[in-house]
Amino acid sequence: MTLPMKILIADDSRVMRQIVTRTLRQAGFDGHDLVEAADGQQAYDAVTNEKPDLVLSDWNMPEMTGIEVLRMLRANGVQVPFGFVTSEGTPEMRGQAEDAGALFLITKPFTAEAFRDALDPILG
Amino acid sequence: MTGNAPTDEDLFAIAEQVWSSYLDLEGTSPLIQMPRTKPSSDVSASVSVTGAWRGHVVVSCTMPAARSAAAALLGIELDEATEDDVTDALGELANIIGGNVKSLMPEPSALSLPVVLVNGSPGWPSASEVCQLNGEWLGESVAVQVLESTNEKGA
Repeated sequence: MTLPMKILIADDSRVMRQIVTRTLRQAGFDGHDLVEAADGQQAYDAVTNEKPDLVLSDWNMPEMTGIEVLRMLRANGVQVPFGFVTSEGTPEMRGQAEDAGALFLITKPFTAEAFRDALDPILG
Repeated sequence: MTGNAPTDEDLFAIAEQVWSSYLDLEGTSPLIQMPRTKPSSDVSASVSVTGAWRGHVVVSCTMPAARSAAAALLGIELDEATEDDVTDALGELANIIGGNVKSLMPEPSALSLPVVLVNGSPGWPSASEVCQLNGEWLGESVAVQVLESTNEKGA
């Protein structure tokens, strides 16, 4: 196990934040410091205030969508590793995510294995 | 409906993935496909799609099934599941299934945030059914419907 990292989980659904937390554990990423945000604005503010090492963000959220959060972070020079965990994964969205600087897009429903594949290069 | 409309089987394949990922991790209580019947209206959760395709994806189930889903998704005991837990859980199920259905539809379109109705009879007067899944989980009825808006665009 490497040094604990701070991970921001941004999702307007309390249930999904819980599932993401559990899946991180099932994927073997225990012991990290988890921070939560319940909408896009909270996510942006949490990145600014909490300075996480990784952001796992939903796409469709109130206040600001996940892609808007990512674009605003990059526009302000914040280069935090950022990945999407979303119920939609159209080619168009994947293209938008990649263009904005996202490292990955995991679609719901996801398995612990999908988390391992996406996060191992960052957290492993 | 233009393009390849999703079928009852497509809907079951999506639901099966959701169940195996979140609601039946041990593989001991799968969602079983059942003959078509009128969905239970104990709890209904829906998301709407607007854009190149317009319609609704509705997840309906009995209250015991909704409580079991809430307990499984939140990792809590069945008797700890509150009505808020049920609302959040069913809303998230509608969001996940709706997002997957949206991916099968013409783009571009947008998915709404979920709306959940407990102990009511929801209605979509200007919509017709595209496909429907009737299922049984833990002996309780669960249904998913895809409805397409039938009124003219911009009307």
